[in-house]
Amino acid sequence: MVALVEPTTRLGTLWQSRRILQLLISRDLKVKYASSVLGYVWTILDPLMMAFVYWFVFSVLMERTIGEAPYIVFLLCAMLPWQWTNGVVRGSMRALSKDAKLVRSTSLPREIWVLRTVGSKFVEFLFAIPVLAVFAVFTGAQLHWQVVYFPLAAGIQAVLLTGAGLALAPLATLYGDVPRLMRIVLRLLFYFSPILYGINDIATRFDKDVLGVPIADIYAFVNPLAGIFDLYRMAFFPDQWVGWSAVLFSAVFAVVLLLIGIRVFRRFEGLVLKEI
Amino acid sequence: MSPVIEAEGLGISFRRNRARNQRLRDVVRGRTKSRKGEFWALRDISFQVGAGEAVGLVGGNGQGKSTLLKLIAGVLLPDEGRLKVHGGVAPLIEVTGGFVGDLTARDNIWLTAGLHGLGRRQIAARFDEIVDFAEVGDFLDTPFRHFSSGMKVRLGFSVVTTLDEPIVLVDEVLAVGDRAFREKCYGRMNELLSGGRTLFLVSHNEADLRRFCTRGLYLKAGSLVGDGPLEDALTTYRADVGRRRKKRKAAAAQDPDTGEQRPVEQRPGEQQPGEQRSLEQQPGAQRPVEQRPGEQRPGEPAG
Repeated sequence: MVALVEPTTRLGTLWQSRRILQLLISRDLKVKYASSVLGYVWTILDPLMMAFVYWFVFSVLMERTIGEAPYIVFLLCAMLPWQWTNGVVRGSMRALSKDAKLVRSTSLPREIWVLRTVGSKFVEFLFAIPVLAVFAVFTGAQLHWQVVYFPLAAGIQAVLLTGAGLALAPLATLYGDVPRLMRIVLRLLFYFSPILYGINDIATRFDKDVLGVPIADIYAFVNPLAGIFDLYRMAFFPDQWVGWSAVLFSAVFAVVLLLIGIRVFRRFEGLVLKEI
Repeated sequence: MSPVIEAEGLGISFRRNRARNQRLRDVVRGRTKSRKGEFWALRDISFQVGAGEAVGLVGGNGQGKSTLLKLIAGVLLPDEGRLKVHGGVAPLIEVTGGFVGDLTARDNIWLTAGLHGLGRRQIAARFDEIVDFAEVGDFLDTPFRHFSSGMKVRLGFSVVTTLDEPIVLVDEVLAVGDRAFREKCYGRMNELLSGGRTLFLVSHNEADLRRFCTRGLYLKAGSLVGDGPLEDALTTYRADVGRRRKKRKAAAAQDPDTGEQRPVEQRPGEQQPGEQRSLEQQPGAQRPVEQRPGEQRPGEPAG
């Protein structure tokens, strides 16, 4: 019985349901691409337009003083994983209410509805990578061996997003304030994350210490996305690298958030089931 | 015989109003238990069901029958007590819930059967049987949203009853569908029962209950007031309903009205003190009759 099993067996049932998770993710893609004519174009249009606007503003209108050339590649390296983050945060808040009937009629481990969001947004992220590749080829950006860190970065981000999604899914279903709050948080997070700029830009602009710690380090230690995006960016811009400590912080933060997410989810699960 | 379902002091509470934001305040203050407006849809429910038993749930609307079924299905979690269900459950509750309107019937069968735990090969082997039983062979490539409500339920019933789960939960699905399909459903249910499945049936139809069930659980106001042979449960239920009707008549006779014919605004006795409403009840199912058709307040315009 789901309600009474120990956490370990619960993880076990979740593992047994991985085929169903696969099914849900492929259904998401199927529905997404079956219900619109442009299908795949929608997946890449949003990050593409965003990147285009910022590229135009920062590198055509203004003289670019942040990031590195080719700026469009620099942007996309972090813009695509940002889209993943954005998609999961928004999607997980609707994960339990959107398919309420399904949630109510199957006794699957309920975490699966969050994992499904993380998974299908990840697939969309992967689908958008060819855009980056095309721009890299056109602008002559050099791909470095550091591209092998991609799975590590994606792994840490997946843990982080799962934790956030598990906490947000029940809370957003129960409390209408949560989605509104998160919309603001997401907007702030976009500008506070190293997407339009790199951690190095912080270091050169604010070359000061606070209590003996450089401001850039503090920046990287406050936002777990910083280390992750930095790791992604290494594939094209190894000079942006600020060291493993930021990545390590991201990883620790991700695991802690996952544990919190699991607890929050368990705590509110029963309540959510009554409400949907 | 070891029990497949064990319930011990089972209880679940709902809130009367859905004031979510109020509760956020409670959470911030660390106050999440025992608020006003909370009521127990089920409380102190204890029973055991052995393998192969066929149990009928008896009781009026809003007395907790469907809630109990959902707890057993694992789609609601109890707030107190323990519930152990040994083995998988095939829930014939909201049977059409898993279907997606935009996808074809074919895709939907694969998806829903998969969501209920059938593997690829198993679905392939049973696909034709599912389609035949639901009689949707000509519409396999039609989007599900174009299906009639009867076809939707047939498909849902067909998919869920092909599952191998040892416990089958049925909530009023037999009431839908035309006569021919109902006969088929009866046949399928008998097959399941003779295959040694454990059955839980919620129905207001005594004939249906008698047809399948040997044991009856009588739920009243969220408590288990009767557990025994089905006939006993039905008798008690009928006696209760009769007593209530009598009370109502007596109350109506005592009405010290001054000749004016008052419309029945709320039937006394229908809403007994302590009688609870459950959130999952059908709209209008238990709502007190505010105005009977044909009866009008004096002075009120007709129509």
